[in-house]
Amino acid sequence: MKVLLINHDGGGFADYVEIVDGTTVAQLFEQQVGSGRASDYLIRVNRQPCPADQVLQEGDRVSFTPTKIEGALR
Amino acid sequence: MLRFSPTAWAKLLFLRDYGKTEVGGFGIAPRDDLLYLEDVQLVRQTCSWAHVAFDDESVADFFDQQVDAARHPEQFARVWVHTHPGDCPRPSQVDEDTFSRVFGRSAWAVMFILAYEGQTYARLRFNDGPGADLKVAVGLDYSRPFGGCDHEAWKQEYLSNVQAQQPIRITSTATEPVVESPFDEEPTDEWLDNWFDYAEDDDNVKGLH
Repeated sequence: MKVLLINHDGGGFADYVEIVDGTTVAQLFEQQVGSGRASDYLIRVNRQPCPADQVLQEGDRVSFTPTKIEGALR
Repeated sequence: MLRFSPTAWAKLLFLRDYGKTEVGGFGIAPRDDLLYLEDVQLVRQTCSWAHVAFDDESVADFFDQQVDAARHPEQFARVWVHTHPGDCPRPSQVDEDTFSRVFGRSAWAVMFILAYEGQTYARLRFNDGPGADLKVAVGLDYSRPFGGCDHEAWKQEYLSNVQAQQPIRITSTATEPVVESPFDEEPTDEWLDNWFDYAEDDDNVKGLH
């Protein structure tokens, strides 16, 4: 089945990917982000935060976006 | 060279100068020219005069909106823009930490800083292979078509996204829209009239005569 994946890492990705039935959000994160720390990302399914063990469904929209973006003078 | 369209540059100056805090956002580039910024867009953020922090949910919403607009992450999530007060655009340790942690896993990224007095800093980082950091020049590019200014839309974008946080040395940490602060209003002589009205009422000045 296919899900739409939005991934900030690498070259940047926003396209449909093929996954096997029963794939969880955590498994997809590991496949796509690898060694990246989950705490550095906001992980959402269909624009909503989700548990790591949520099983993905056909057509889901999954995004891994950066967190804690901050700048300062000092 | 990192190039801005005249419209994007005018918008960034407007956003920098509208309030009294730092602001930040993402540069938006066309697919065929990733170092040419045709727009700068804010996300919701909490700011003080020397700090800006993006709201994580708003960043995710921004990604969704940009993908819905048929843009690729390289076009909207590679140029991190923020401002500094004063005349120093050099990145702080906080800036460097964010640039490494957030943009260190992307193929490339740019950190761009605009100081209040106009100085700029731009650094292009390649993370693939051995990696490299290059300071890049910044300029305006008039060679492509560009739109006009839209101060009202920019103002609404600012008001919708920027929440000013009181400086730490003040006890309150509450946030509120920048321009709704009474301290941002133009000074008037209304207070003087109020004092005369108050003094003319005998009940208010009993015991003072």
